[in-house]
Amino acid sequence: MAVEGIKKAELYVHKSNLEEVLGALQRTASFEVAASGADQSIEGVVQAHPELPRVEGLLAEARFLLRFLEPHFQDKVSPVARALGEKEEISLEEGEALEKSLDIAAISDGARSLERRLVEIRSELAQIATTEALLSHLPDFSYPFELITSGTERVRGIIGTMPASKMPSWRRDMETVLSGMGEIYASTPGEKEQEGWVAVFYDESISDRVMECMTAHSFSKVDVPSALKGTTEEEAKILSERKTFLAGEEERILREIADLAEKRVLAIRTLSDYWTVLRDRYQALLSGTSTEQVVVLRGWIPESGVKRLTKALSPFGTSVELFLFNPSPDDSPPSLLVNAPWSLPFENLTKLYGAPKYGEIDPTPLLAPFFFVFFGMCLGDAGYGVITVGLFMWFMRKYGRMPSAFKGFFQLFVLSGISTIIVGALTGSWFGDLVDAFSFLSFLRPAKNAMLILNPMENPMDFLAISLALGVVQLFCGLLIAFYDALRKRNYMGAFADTGGWIVLLVGLLLWGGVASGFLSDGVALTAKILSFAGAGVLVATQGREKEGIFGKAVSGLLSLYGVTSYLGDVLSYSRLLALGLATSAVGVIINMLAGLAGDLPYIGWAIALLLIVGGHVFSLAVNVLGAFVHSLRLQYVEFFSKFYSGGGTLFSPLTYKTAFVSIKNDSVE
Amino acid sequence: MELLGVMLAILGAAMAAGWAGAGSAIGVGIAGESGAGVMTEDPGKFGLVLLLQALPGTQGIYGLLIAFFAILKVGLLGGEPIAVTAYQGLGIFFACLPIAIGGYFSAIAQGKTSAASIQMIAKRPEETGKAVILPAMVETYAVLSLLMSIILLNGIKL
Repeated sequence: MAVEGIKKAELYVHKSNLEEVLGALQRTASFEVAASGADQSIEGVVQAHPELPRVEGLLAEARFLLRFLEPHFQDKVSPVARALGEKEEISLEEGEALEKSLDIAAISDGARSLERRLVEIRSELAQIATTEALLSHLPDFSYPFELITSGTERVRGIIGTMPASKMPSWRRDMETVLSGMGEIYASTPGEKEQEGWVAVFYDESISDRVMECMTAHSFSKVDVPSALKGTTEEEAKILSERKTFLAGEEERILREIADLAEKRVLAIRTLSDYWTVLRDRYQALLSGTSTEQVVVLRGWIPESGVKRLTKALSPFGTSVELFLFNPSPDDSPPSLLVNAPWSLPFENLTKLYGAPKYGEIDPTPLLAPFFFVFFGMCLGDAGYGVITVGLFMWFMRKYGRMPSAFKGFFQLFVLSGISTIIVGALTGSWFGDLVDAFSFLSFLRPAKNAMLILNPMENPMDFLAISLALGVVQLFCGLLIAFYDALRKRNYMGAFADTGGWIVLLVGLLLWGGVASGFLSDGVALTAKILSFAGAGVLVATQGREKEGIFGKAVSGLLSLYGVTSYLGDVLSYSRLLALGLATSAVGVIINMLAGLAGDLPYIGWAIALLLIVGGHVFSLAVNVLGAFVHSLRLQYVEFFSKFYSGGGTLFSPLTYKTAFVSIKNDSVE
Repeated sequence: MELLGVMLAILGAAMAAGWAGAGSAIGVGIAGESGAGVMTEDPGKFGLVLLLQALPGTQGIYGLLIAFFAILKVGLLGGEPIAVTAYQGLGIFFACLPIAIGGYFSAIAQGKTSAASIQMIAKRPEETGKAVILPAMVETYAVLSLLMSIILLNGIKL
């Protein structure tokens, strides 16, 4: 339990051994480099490793290649499987050898030229498509486009569009203007077309008058690509031939890219990871300071890692010196959570909320039993529990090497499923009332009933009482932890006045309530009253202690008693355990009922019933697992944590191998 | 009068399923709009977005649940029809109101919170835990409404 002790470390490394020492740090994964600037007690300059720019350059090339090639790569390992740990293992030596064997610059030059060619082809294809769209408006245009694009010595031509309604008057006027010194082309617009295409070819000498006439009829000129020379028919043929050629070219290049991807992607991925490892290593230096001969790295080492690290550094003898200090109150060291195997799966829940600050309590083992029970109650159906356990066990078997964060979550769901089975069996819910709803399953009824001790569908009030009682238990746990924590920090006012006052008052009120409702004998009544008034007295006396003046203190003290409503609200919040558990079973019952009704239909009834049962329960399982997870978690975060835990720390993140595609073999140590 | 009792129970069931379902539809819709926006930037967030979008959907299920309970109680779903007086029917109708009202409004509010949470994971995907808890805070009140409807229905003796 709790957060492991962290030592503040200063590591002095002689430059001759820098590379190897950094490697050792990365291998042991027990040194977190602290950001620079925190401590300027040592004179020196920040100096980048000479290799850093080179590695960063290579990494950029690798990223470009992966971005370019991966869409064309048929991966044998799915991304999900890889995320779950299906990674090839390599050693750093293998990475180095691979780097030497592969000329990454040549490969990316090749890839770049392929990419450039592909872009050119695609933009030319787009151009052709535009030209073809233009030509499609002029199917019967029998003049060579050359007349428009370049003209002859005396003849000029323009082409464009004008409103269809203006075309007849334009033709009349234009014929007058031309008076035999030119020719007219006009398309025949369809009935629904607003615009028609027109072209005029005219003698240069009358160009002013032609333009005037065109403008008068709302003509808008269209620029024709200068490559067009012949008639529509001729040009369309040329274009379609060019298109076929380009399409073939594109296919050839795509094949080439696919070949390249097939051949290189795996190697580039490996290298990308290898270079990432090197880059992380060199970047660590940016946080250190260096003098002429020595580099100083500051950081954090967990106590358990000290031995491992000293051992890893021992081969370097006197060229390395490690100094350890206890963190001072001004420091903010990272937190490393250490949990026993039984509570380890629940660590993720703590991390979801936020890591504890260094020196604070790690709430993981404290929330673990509650989350376990609450999830079971919220899901509350043994059938769903069996499926949950089975599904996640299967995943864990299939992907044995999954990273610990994933593994934790999978184990969490297996545990939650087990809890669900227990609660479901005790409340007699197996896929809702599947066993009771269908007579052919009646042989299972005795087994089911033997395990049943409380049916919440029939006795919801009893189940509600259990839910609220669990809430009271958890809230008192929270208060006791806060009490202990305050004592630990020698904050006696916080322990006895703030937390202690509430504990006494709440115990008193609970007993009082018990007497009033007849559960407890009247003999307890006096104790209950004394406790209540004592607790309230302590609160009134102490809660206003930061206010000025006796009046302010008294008012604040009295007002603090109002906080009792928040405890009441907290307890009532646990009623969701009943509501969600009931909702799961009830939805299951409804699914079975609908299936039963459908089963009575003739001929295909059984098929519909089967579909309803399978589909319905899968849906219900998905919705209710989500609900159970979220609500059990909320009870921890909101009701439980608010009593003693605030998070706000940072997790210990050592210099280590952070890879995406392969994992780095760690054979040379331990 | 028997018929009036049954009809009142049906009215209650219809309100529970209808209003809570409508609220969920609006809530899921609000969250979905936000999610679609986030996914135009990063389609890889589909899983997380879907999870957050689904959260305001539970009110509809709670409403459906109470509706089933209500019509089960008056024997409309197979079994023997039960004689229901007008007062009992009115009682069932009232018992359906908490989830109808609480479900409708909480689903919309939860949808807005989910939408905001979706925006949050767009920028900080590592904070998913917190993003899921915020909409769950809203859902508490739908759960309480559900609970009250269940307890009230359970309390009405026929």
